[in-house]
Amino acid sequence: MFTLANKNTLIIEDFTEFARSVRTMLYSLGNQSVEIVSNAEDAIEACRTKKFDVLLSDYNLGERKDGQQLLEELMAFDLLSANCIFIMLTAENTSAMVMGAIEHQPDNYIAKPFTAALLKSRIAKAVEKKETLSSISRCIQKRKWSEAINQCRLIASEKPKYRMSCLRLEFKCLKIQNKLDDALTLSLKIISDREVPWALQAVGEIYFLQKKHDKAINVFKNMTKKYPMNLEAYDWLAKTQQALGQNIDAQETIHMAIKKAPNVVKRQKSLGSIAEQNDDFGAMSNAFRQAIYQGKHSAFSSPEEYIKLTYGLKNQLSQNAIDSTKNSSQDKLILEAEQTFKQLENKFKDDTGTIIRSNVAHAAFSKTVNNKDDVDKYSNKAKRMFEEFEGVLSPQVSLEISKSLKEIKDDDFAEAIIKEAIQQNLDDKEFIKQISNFTQDKELIQKCKQAAQQNEKGIYHFRKNEFKEAIEYFEKAFSTSPKNINIALNYAQALLKLSQNAKNKIELLTLASNKLIKLNKLEVSDSRYSRYSELNRLTQLMLNKSA
Amino acid sequence: MTLEKQHDYFSLVLASTVHDMKNSLAMLGQSLNHILDEQSKNTLNIKTQKDVGIVQYEANRVNNSLMQLLALYKLENEQLPFSPNYHNLFEFIEEQTIILAQLFEAKNISCEINVDESIDAFFDANLLSIVVENILGNAIRYSKSKIIINCQNDDHLVIQINDDGLGYPDKMIDLEGGYMLGINQSTGSTGLGLFFAEQIASMHQNKSDTGYIILKNGGELNGGLFEIHIP
Repeated sequence: MFTLANKNTLIIEDFTEFARSVRTMLYSLGNQSVEIVSNAEDAIEACRTKKFDVLLSDYNLGERKDGQQLLEELMAFDLLSANCIFIMLTAENTSAMVMGAIEHQPDNYIAKPFTAALLKSRIAKAVEKKETLSSISRCIQKRKWSEAINQCRLIASEKPKYRMSCLRLEFKCLKIQNKLDDALTLSLKIISDREVPWALQAVGEIYFLQKKHDKAINVFKNMTKKYPMNLEAYDWLAKTQQALGQNIDAQETIHMAIKKAPNVVKRQKSLGSIAEQNDDFGAMSNAFRQAIYQGKHSAFSSPEEYIKLTYGLKNQLSQNAIDSTKNSSQDKLILEAEQTFKQLENKFKDDTGTIIRSNVAHAAFSKTVNNKDDVDKYSNKAKRMFEEFEGVLSPQVSLEISKSLKEIKDDDFAEAIIKEAIQQNLDDKEFIKQISNFTQDKELIQKCKQAAQQNEKGIYHFRKNEFKEAIEYFEKAFSTSPKNINIALNYAQALLKLSQNAKNKIELLTLASNKLIKLNKLEVSDSRYSRYSELNRLTQLMLNKSA
Repeated sequence: MTLEKQHDYFSLVLASTVHDMKNSLAMLGQSLNHILDEQSKNTLNIKTQKDVGIVQYEANRVNNSLMQLLALYKLENEQLPFSPNYHNLFEFIEEQTIILAQLFEAKNISCEINVDESIDAFFDANLLSIVVENILGNAIRYSKSKIIINCQNDDHLVIQINDDGLGYPDKMIDLEGGYMLGINQSTGSTGLGLFFAEQIASMHQNKSDTGYIILKNGGELNGGLFEIHIP
C-alpha cells in the first residue's frame, strides 16, 4: 500500500493560503515533512540543501519563473534525485497539455481545485510509474542504449499499462544512437494503429533527420491541423520549411505558435533568426526584444538575444536611411540599442568572447548612425581584448564578427578573426564555404583542406578500429592545423582507444591529456564542449587508475 | 472600439473572470474543509451534514460548469489542446469517482465500477474527465441510492453510466445530436453538460468514425443511462 508517511515534500506556490491548505491535505494523508516556498528561486535553493521525494509546484508562480522553467532549471542543475516526483498544479484541466511535447515533462499534473484523495492518487501513480521505469532510466543515464532497449521491451510485455511509455523511451534510445531506420519503423508502427501525437511528431523528426523534407513537411502540416495546440509541431514545421528554403512560410509558422503561447524564449529566438534571414528587421528586433524580456529571470538567458537585438535595430535604422535631421523614432531605436549594449556588457562582463563580440557590434552600429569616433573607440577596444583572448569563438560568432569588421573596413582585424576561425573549424565544410568569401588568404584555405583530408583518413581508420593508423593521420592533421578543435578531440579519442590494450598506456594517456588541456577554454555552450568534457573525464580517470 | 475588437475583449474578460471564479470556488471549498476538520464530522447533526453535502455538491457543479465553459471558449478560439493517448481505463474511471468521493458519501450513494483492469483505451483524458465528472455529478443528483459504471472496448470504447433515478425526460432523449436545443430554463437544464459531452465525443475520430453520446432510460438500474462512444 502506498504511503506518504516517510516522504519529504516541497510545495512551491505563490498563493500562501492555497499552499497552507495543500499542506493540511498532506498532513491528513500522513505526510509529516512538508515545506513551503513561494517562488522558483527559493525552490532551487531548497533543493540544493535538501533531497525531496515529492515536489508540488504551481504552474503560475507570479511574474518571474513559472513551474515549467523551474522544472527545467532543476533538471539542468541536476538537483532532482532520480526518484523524485515532480507534480505540476495547474489552474485548469487543459492548460497543462499546451506543454505536451516539451522536453522535460512533469511526472503528473493536477488541476485545481483538488481533494486530498485525488492528490494521493496522482502522487501514488507517479511514484509507481517512476519505480516501474527506473531500470530503463538507469540504463539511459549510463548511456547503455541496447540494455535500455531490452528493459523497455521487457517492462512493456510484463506491464502492458506502461507499453506506450516504454515505446517512447525505446524510440529515444534509437534516435540517440542515430539508428534512424529502426526509429522510423517503430514510430510508423505506432501511428499505423493510432495517431499518438508524440509518435506522429517522431515520424516527422526522423524524416527530417533523413533529409526527406517533403515527407516531413506533410507530417508536420497534418499535425498542426489535427493538434493545433501541440506547439512543438510548429517549431518542426518551421525548421523543415527553412530546410526547403521556404523562409517566409517558416516565419509565419513560428509566428502562429507564438500567438498561441507567447512566453517561450527559445521560440522567440528562432522567430528572430528567421526574420533576420527574411530581411524583416522590424520583426527581428521585436522577437529578440521579447526574448530578452522573457528570459530576464531564466538561467538560460544568453548574449545571443542582446547582440541580435542590436543588429536588428541597426538594420532597421539603415533600411530607413539616416537623414541629418534625425526624427524621434530613430532616436528611440538608437537609445534602445545603446541601452542593450550596456545591459549586455554588464550582465556578461566576465565573458571576454561576448565582450569582444559586443564591441564589434557596437562599432558597426556606430558606423550606421554616422558616429565615427565611436567606431574607432569600440573596434580598438575589441582588438585589444582579442589580442589577449585565449578562448574560442564559435564559428557563427566568428562569421558575425568578421562581417561587421568588413563593414567598418577594419580588414586586418577581420582577417585575424577569420584565420583563427578557419583553423579551429576547418572540418566544418558549410562554415568554410561561408567564411571563404571573407578572406583573401588562399594559402590558409589550402592548408586547411589538407588537414581536413588527413582528418577524414584518420576517421576512416578509426571506424575500422585501426587506431594506430588513425593516430598517424590525426597527428599529421594536428600538426598542419594545431588549433582545430575537432581534430584535437579525434586525436585524443584515438589515443585513448589505443591506450586500452597498450603497454605504453601512461605515455599515450599523457599525450591525450596534453591535447585536451589546450581545449579547456571551450565555452560550455559550445556544441563540442560535452565531447571534450567526457573525453577529458575518461582520460583523467584512466590516468589515475594506471598511475 | 470596433465590434470585432469588442468581441475579442469580451472573450478575454470572460476567460479571465472564469479563472477568477474558479479560484474563489477553490478557496470556498478549502475553507469548508477546514471548518469540517475542526469539528470532527460525527459531532455534526444530520441536518448540518446534509447542508455540508449540498454546499460541496453545488460548489463542485459550478466548478465543473466553469471548466466546460472555459474549454468551449478555447475550442471556439482554436486554443483547446487535444492530446489523445493510451490510458488504463479502470484507473481513469476510478479517479473520476475519487474526485467525487465526498459527494457520493454526502448523498449516501454507492458506486459500482465494472471495468476490466487490463483495458487500455485511446482518448484525451483531460477532456473526457470533465465529461464523465459532469455526468456522474448529475447522476448523483438524480439517483436514489446507486450508480453503475460499465465500460467496454471491443471495436470502440463505450463508457456507460447508469443511475436509479427517474430517468431523462423524453424531450431530452429526442434531442439526439442537438443537445444545444435542450436549454430550458423552466426545468433548470442549461444544455451545457450534454452539449459539451457531444463536442468532446466528436473531437475523437478514428479513420471514418466519429465519437457520439446517447441518452436512454432503463438500463441496468432502470433509471437514466448515459453512454459516450469513442472510436
